[in-house]
Amino acid sequence: MPFRRYLPHYLMIAPFMVLFVVFFLYPILSGLYYSFHDWNGVRVPEFVGADNYSKIVASRDFSRAMGNLAAYIAITVPLGILAALGLALLVDSFTGRWSNFFRNAYFMPVVLPAFLAATIWRWIYAPNFGLLNTVLGWFGLPSVNFLNDTGTMLYALIAVDIWVSAGFNMVIILAGLKNIPTELYEAARLDGASRRQQLFHVTIPMLGPVLFFVLTYGLISAMQVFDKPWLLTGSSFTSYGGRRNALLFPVMDMMGRAFGGVKFGEAAAYGFLLTVAIVAVTGVMFGLRAWSERR
Amino acid sequence: MKTTKAFRAALTAASALIAVAFAGAAMAEDVTLEYWVYSDFAQGEALAMQQEFIKEFTAAHPGVTINISGKGDDDLTAGQVAGAASGTVPDVYMNAQSVGAQLVDVGAMANIYSQFMALPEEQRNQFDKDALASCMPKPDELYCLPYTGFGSLLFLNLTVLEKAGIDTATPPATWSEWFEQMQKVKAAGMYAIPDETLVFNSIAEIYATTGSTETWGFDWANRKTRIDEATMTTVLQKFVDMVPLNSGTSRNDQATKDLFISNQLAFHTIGPWVNPTYEEAAKASGLKYDFVLIPGDTAGKTGGIRSYEIVAVAPGKNQEIAFQFAAFITEKAQMARWAKLLARYNANAAAMADPDVSALPLIKVSVDAAHGAMEVAAPYFVGSIPSCYNSTVIDFASATADGEYTPAEGAKEMIAALNECMAQ
Repeated sequence: MPFRRYLPHYLMIAPFMVLFVVFFLYPILSGLYYSFHDWNGVRVPEFVGADNYSKIVASRDFSRAMGNLAAYIAITVPLGILAALGLALLVDSFTGRWSNFFRNAYFMPVVLPAFLAATIWRWIYAPNFGLLNTVLGWFGLPSVNFLNDTGTMLYALIAVDIWVSAGFNMVIILAGLKNIPTELYEAARLDGASRRQQLFHVTIPMLGPVLFFVLTYGLISAMQVFDKPWLLTGSSFTSYGGRRNALLFPVMDMMGRAFGGVKFGEAAAYGFLLTVAIVAVTGVMFGLRAWSERR
Repeated sequence: MKTTKAFRAALTAASALIAVAFAGAAMAEDVTLEYWVYSDFAQGEALAMQQEFIKEFTAAHPGVTINISGKGDDDLTAGQVAGAASGTVPDVYMNAQSVGAQLVDVGAMANIYSQFMALPEEQRNQFDKDALASCMPKPDELYCLPYTGFGSLLFLNLTVLEKAGIDTATPPATWSEWFEQMQKVKAAGMYAIPDETLVFNSIAEIYATTGSTETWGFDWANRKTRIDEATMTTVLQKFVDMVPLNSGTSRNDQATKDLFISNQLAFHTIGPWVNPTYEEAAKASGLKYDFVLIPGDTAGKTGGIRSYEIVAVAPGKNQEIAFQFAAFITEKAQMARWAKLLARYNANAAAMADPDVSALPLIKVSVDAAHGAMEVAAPYFVGSIPSCYNSTVIDFASATADGEYTPAEGAKEMIAALNECMAQ
């Protein structure tokens, strides 16, 4: 009889469970199933064991994509958080209308469609006629081909990424700043703490959970980077990653395999490798957080 | 009275049955076709003409409705592949020849051979034979009707060439003449050419100045590239030679068009679709330009690539009427109107031979360009091109131009990497 007794409860959670199974559990399990098969999306899948995984790991594009991703994460995540923190502190120092104005202004890039953001930045980066090169020209500096020079492509992408994501992170950090009790600053000032000391000994420690969220979210987003490099390099399913694959990232490679090469089994395996990597990184982050709280 | 009543009732019942039967027949005839085209076919005067074709076809086929949707290259392919998986492929659609094998592989394309053979012979013979053959991997398999197409051209900025002291009355006839002109342009302080290593198609265009269809594309039987090492070595040397002369922008970049329009770039190898932009600039800012065949290594040989957009039909209940529509839009009368409107080359040889069409300068040179050019990804409809193929070609061409490899090393490494990619 327990089932009958708890039927109303089961009915209450049924909508969530149905959505969870249909849109989360089933796609994950079917993705895992197809990752061990040679499958073009239509034909009967043919079991190939771990072939898809070994093909991906052995491919030139995969190692290039992972190398690019490592460099991208190493720069964009810390720099993005620093930029967001700086902006949040700046906006927090304003009052009333100015605070609202700057908060909205910095948040604006977040709501811009990726295509529009990429178009704006392609114009900024354009050689000869672009905004940046025009400014360089005023100082007598030579034109730089930001999106086709392998020495500048990654940094050009990182600048766009920070421009887009800083506003989002700023709003989150700003909310964290508002939650820091003013008594702590008053106490610090009474103890003779300078502004710098207040920042490092009150603000940043109190922002710990918020910064942890921003860092974790930033890492996960960075690992899934796709639209900006795809659009900035004018990529398509048959040719992606820009000059010398300097802006080739895992999700781009995965998309190319799925829709360019019609190898959905390989793409599923790629997706799984990425999922495992993201789960692992998230796990490490939570582990570090727990460890730092125990100290 | 009874008889009259019974008669009336019988008449009413019969009328109702007849009405139902007619309604059923009408219902059976009522069909809506989804027609997917490239974005530029669904804009401005091109869209107006497409809608005119649709209007004419639906007038001749009552009960048929056709919804036209314009989509970007990737959206077309992704939609067709995903549609094949979910059973929602558009009834009739466009795409590039080079994607054909992938679409056949996922079951998005019907074999229309028997329907094609049922067309009048005169209509069947209208198509460019090579273009039609490229849709037929086997004698009794036809997966598409060749539609619009291009042969790439060399656009010349006459102002830049004059400034560089070049006689514009005689366009370059060979690679060496062309390269000499490029050097003169650079010496005069302007850019000669875009960076041809950035895009697969521009690499192919330059490869064609030395090589040919036979030494390009895919050996599907052995899953190897057909690229010839000696030819690629020569071509990579050309890329190395062009490094100091190029603008650093790709053939497809807006920045390249801007440089050309503002008289800072001499040459642009690309398809005829760029012509409306340059035509507009000629009117607005006095751009002086011309278009000629891309010169090859020897006189009479041309470089450049050719490719066709295709019309395909999805298998299923609407296949018959969808094929009729595909046959209608690719027929001479429609293709001639299309060519006159946009001055664009297409695969209907009869339309291209129409005096009003062949008199158009861009069409005239496009016909020659297409006939002398190299197939960009032949043979078609045999195997799905691996996603690593194009990026490998671009990667090694760029790396060699950057000095990472000698041309001989670059060609050797490229071919090895391509064979590895093909073997996957």
